[in-house]
Order: sequence, then structure tokens, then C-alpha cells
Amino acid sequence: MEELGQFRREGLGKKSNRRLSLIFLLAVSVMMFVFSLYGAQASVFEKARETLLDIVEPVLSVFNRPLRFVDNRIGNITDYFNYLEQNERLREENAELRTWMNEAITLRRQVTYYQELLDVQFDEAAEAIDTRVVGETGGPYQRSLIINAGRSQGIETGDAVIDTEGLIGHVVTTGNSASRVLMLTDFSSRVPVFIEDAGIEAIVAGKYLDAPELMFLETRDIETLQPGMRIVTSGAGGNLPRGIPVGSVDSIDERTIKVRLFSKYNDTDFVRVLDYDFIEISVDEDIGADTAIIAAESEVGSSDPEN
Amino acid sequence: MFYTDQGMSGIAKALTPTLIGLAGVLALSLPIRLFEGTIPTPLIPLIVIFFWSLYGPDYVPSVSTFLIGLLQDFMLGGPLGVWTTAYLVTQYMIINQRSYFQGREQHVVWLGFLIAALTAGLMVWGAMSMFSGQWLSIWPMLGQVLVTFAFYPVLAVGFSSLHERVIMD
Repeated sequence: MEELGQFRREGLGKKSNRRLSLIFLLAVSVMMFVFSLYGAQASVFEKARETLLDIVEPVLSVFNRPLRFVDNRIGNITDYFNYLEQNERLREENAELRTWMNEAITLRRQVTYYQELLDVQFDEAAEAIDTRVVGETGGPYQRSLIINAGRSQGIETGDAVIDTEGLIGHVVTTGNSASRVLMLTDFSSRVPVFIEDAGIEAIVAGKYLDAPELMFLETRDIETLQPGMRIVTSGAGGNLPRGIPVGSVDSIDERTIKVRLFSKYNDTDFVRVLDYDFIEISVDEDIGADTAIIAAESEVGSSDPEN
Repeated sequence: MFYTDQGMSGIAKALTPTLIGLAGVLALSLPIRLFEGTIPTPLIPLIVIFFWSLYGPDYVPSVSTFLIGLLQDFMLGGPLGVWTTAYLVTQYMIINQRSYFQGREQHVVWLGFLIAALTAGLMVWGAMSMFSGQWLSIWPMLGQVLVTFAFYPVLAVGFSSLHERVIMD
């Protein structure tokens, strides 16, 4: 390598205008960043992102094969050394799950009975689309996945993405055959949640580290929080359906409350995209009801003897 | 230029560093998960840009650097212009200091790479902090820079062999 500096051959560029083109492109880059800061990503850049996802998806799928092969072999070797311990643990887990299953069946029957009695209208069950993870960003602050399904499979921007344990994130870019999923651990991720046992609404904010943090809109009931409390999506904002398991309260100190995520966000090969529709409230009926209330109030007001 | 004399093979050779840089970006987008995701993926494009800016700047012209950075910006899903700026500034620094590094011991070049990588890392950290509206922790960036620094000697040996035996051949 010592003699590398001795060679001088012409390649793609020209020495004379190298600096000039470099400065020009630097100026273009800075302008692109400034445009990004002011939200210009929405139109042209977003379309470019979608197209690029479709182009690189087959390439990433091909490069994934050797990675998966090695990963599976290493997994098999590890499993071989731990199979007795794993077997014992799985037996115990299976016995526990059978108890839970029987309880769940009973509860489901009861819930169905009460729903019929009350004539409650619920969201339709979400349709699940199973996809494979072909990419995972390796940047210092971004945490996102690239999955091998897009618009042609029915995926839309905003859809929730889960694994077997819980929420992973939501779709932010949708190409024709590939999509990008913004993970809960990304620095820009904000997901409205509900802390079940405390009855508090909050926001899970990604911190590009393993554990996201809880942000609160109201601080009056925070003292009631305890580690281990279950966190689910709240459905606020109308983006994600209510009730998807997110994680549990992990640690509480004076400044931050961290969340232990349920999903295996560091080791996800397959994910499930939830395609769902929120119940649409009939606007006409509401307007009619409001108008009726206003009319009734004005009628009461006009008949008030003091007026 | 030489590649016009050598036809397609010359063009392929001249494009090799750029293609390695683009492949490095794709490697950043693969679920490699070194040590179960605890070790970040090294910034191979940064090594490519540093190495060829130093030993053969004509093989990584600024357009190539821009394209590598742009692909990385797109693939990571963040704001555009962050990695393009970081890589172009790194290239500008190296081209200015080229005469100092040429013919130096490899550990001096390695140290030079650390300074260049830290500069690029600081720029990315600053840009991402500006984008998020808060001071982000610098540790994830430093971690990735240090892993890249550790990978540099291994990749530099491979790149120098490729440069001497294939590209310059």
C-alpha cells in the first residue's frame, strides 16, 4: 500500500474542475437538506423514495439469502446446545398457555354475548398481510425496515406493523412492491398509547436507542404509574387501531419513563401489516343532532321569562 | 482518458470504486445485525470515498460521492442532503490534504481516516439534531464511526490490492 500514492492515472473525473464540481454539489446537498428541513420531502422526494424502494427490493432480497442461511445455521447450532433447556421451558409455557386459552375462550363467549345485548358497533377486524423483512437501516439515528410488499399487496401508508409479540411501527413509504416501516425506536417515531392499569393516555417517543420513552400530554396522574404496566395503542389521531400491544413500563426516574417493547425489534424476519378501516361516523346525523340541540337551546332561551 | 482506450473493461474498472461505494450503501440497508444488533454496521461508503480520494481521486469523482451519499440518504429514510454533505466535505478535506498523506505510514493514514470519519460523524449528528429539533445523543454516531475506524485497515488492504492488481492493471 505504501506505493499507492505513486500512481497517477485518469479515472472518471477531470482534475481541473474537480474542486469546482465538488463545491457545486456541496451547495446542492446543503440546499436539499434545507428543503428537507422545511418539509419539501412530501412530493418529488417522496415519489423518488417509493421508486427507489421498488428498484432495490429485488437486490436486497438476493443479498438476504446468504445472510439468512448463515443466521439460520448459527441459530441451529445454538439451539442444539440448548435444546434440553428449551424443551423444558416450552413445556411449561405450553401448559400455561392452555390455561390462558380456556380462559380466553370463555371470556370471548361472554364478550360476544354482551356485545349482542348492547348492540355495540366495533371496528371490523383488521386484515393481516404477512411480509418478509428484506432491509433494515444501519444509520446511527434512523430505525426502519424495508418489507417486500407494497401497494400491489394492499399496503397503505400509515398501516400498523406487528410481529408475534406486539407493535413494531407503521408504514411510512409505500412502493408498488416494497414498503418502508418506521420502527418505534426511530428518533422521529411518535405513537399515541394508553397505559391500561393507570388509565393514562401518552405518547411513545422513539429515542434511536433500544428503549423508547413516554411523553405525557397531562401530568396529573403520572404518580400512579408502576413498572410492568401494560401499554397498548390508544387509537388517538385515527392512524393506528386501538389495543395493539406495544410494551410495558420499564423504568421510572425523575426525568424519563422508559418503555420495554414487546416486539423483537432487533431480530425480526417476518412482520404482519394490518390493513384496517376505522368506523366512519355519519356526519349528517351528527350535524342533525347538533342542529337539534342548538335549536332546542334557542327555543328554551327565547321562552325564558328573563329575556 | 485511459478507459476510452481500453473500451468496456476500462469503463468497468473506472466504475469499480463507485459501484463498491453503492454496494456499501446497500450493505448498510441489509439486516446484518452484527452480534445481535449490538454492533452497528460499518460505513463502508466512507472508507471507499476516503481511500480513493487519497490514492486515486479520479476514480471517485464528486458526482460519484454525491450519488453514493444520495442513495444512502434515500435508503436510510431520513432527510435528504445529510450524507451527501458529510461525504462531499470529507472528500474535500482529503483532496486538500492528499499531498500530506501520500507515502506516509499506514497508521498515519488510519489516524487521518479517524479524523475524517469523526468530522463526517459530527456533521451528520449536527444535521440530524437540527432536523429533529433537539440535541440527539452523539454516542450512536460515535459508535458507528469507531466501528468503521476498526474496519478500515481490513478493507483498505482489500481495496489497495484491488486498486493495484485490477483497476490500475
